[in-house]
Amino acid sequence: MDFLLQGFQALTWQQVAMWIIGGILIYLAIKKDMEPALLLPMGFGAILVNLPLSPVIGDPANGEHLGIITSLFQVGIEASEAMPLLLFIGIGCMIDFGPLLTNPKLFILGGAAQLGIFVTIILAAMIGFPLNDAASIGIIGAADGPTAILVAMQLASKYLGPIMVVAYSYMALVPIVQPAVIKMCTTKKERLIRMKYSAKQVPQLMRILFPIIVTIISGLIAPDSLSLVGMLMFGNLLRECGVLKSLSETAQTTFSNIITLLLGITIAFQMQAEAFLSLETIIIMLLGLFAFVFDTIGGVMCAKLINLFSKEKINPMLGAAGISAFPMASRVVAKMGTKEDPSNHLLMHAVGANVSGQIASAIVGGLIIGILGPFCGL
Amino acid sequence: MLNLMTLLAAFDNLTPMNWEAIKPALNFLWQGLLAIFVVIGLIIITVKLTAFVIAKCTEAKKRREEAAQSAESEESNS
Repeated sequence: MDFLLQGFQALTWQQVAMWIIGGILIYLAIKKDMEPALLLPMGFGAILVNLPLSPVIGDPANGEHLGIITSLFQVGIEASEAMPLLLFIGIGCMIDFGPLLTNPKLFILGGAAQLGIFVTIILAAMIGFPLNDAASIGIIGAADGPTAILVAMQLASKYLGPIMVVAYSYMALVPIVQPAVIKMCTTKKERLIRMKYSAKQVPQLMRILFPIIVTIISGLIAPDSLSLVGMLMFGNLLRECGVLKSLSETAQTTFSNIITLLLGITIAFQMQAEAFLSLETIIIMLLGLFAFVFDTIGGVMCAKLINLFSKEKINPMLGAAGISAFPMASRVVAKMGTKEDPSNHLLMHAVGANVSGQIASAIVGGLIIGILGPFCGL
Repeated sequence: MLNLMTLLAAFDNLTPMNWEAIKPALNFLWQGLLAIFVVIGLIIITVKLTAFVIAKCTEAKKRREEAAQSAESEESNS
């Protein structure tokens, strides 16, 4: 009768702790509607991979029998970072760069809102994380799951699992974290600043040229960002070219859904108890929060700085929308704007800053790989 | 059982307050921020230039069409 007890005998308290974490992720996804498309597969995956003798993992050390999740991880993420990169095609298809092209100045906010990444790298290095791990932790501040995965993979960080989980969890926490930080950094008067929005039509030629221009420029200055920026811009070109409607629709819906579904459950490979449960994971969670807070501060302060020299004032809250969490960050800012003054509509401006953050975070990811790669012996 | 010693042991591979690691990290801070703003600046300039050229071309095309139209109407009048 021993075969009936094999599972119980192999069970460890760490695995049970991971079931609880998995349960919390599922709860947050279903009850709190926090990034359910990712947190639910990740939560279930955390339970799945932490069952003793789980055949979905197999015996990767032996290499003879690989479970389905191990195989998906090795092929879809480890070998070529294919899954996060392919997801960027779908994201690119979903993004309308119109509001940004109407007011290109907003691009600056996208750049400034990456400050938290670099400040967190310094803090993580101060605490004692090796530079490759510090940079991979800092990139959580990009508020962009695929970028975080790519950077952590390329820099060979051993904290890939916690980084992925924290990156995706915090993206869901944007509506909780950002309003408090924005209020802390701005006065009521600043939050009431109105901005004109001229809904002028952006010529289709401009919309078509934009992804090509961005790809060429970022490719020349930050070649390591090309895989991310290239996929994002390829997706956007599909959307804007006007002759590939069915491909664009597929990329926005079915394709993105399939990748998201597989990515969520595949990430769970990194949530095996022995690698996940450590003090470092808690520190990474705190550093991730720090990165988000400093991103928001960076964006808001940059908007304030621009206001010192500009005739047309920018509502500093828009700076917070410069992070990559799309479209949550822009929704948060628009909601705060209407809360302060119901007739102040900031949504289109916030979307402009938000999509610029999407591009900026991908470029920063590539820059970090490029700058740090040689230091990390890559 | 998780106890304080286990928690502290997890810190073993971290060297608290690693000031030596901060120097290169500070280097990355300025290099990274400079690079991102250079890329963004170039994108803004290129976008503005492209928008300007497209607007001028559209205007010129419109003017040519108007001139052709008025020439046609003058011809038909004469």
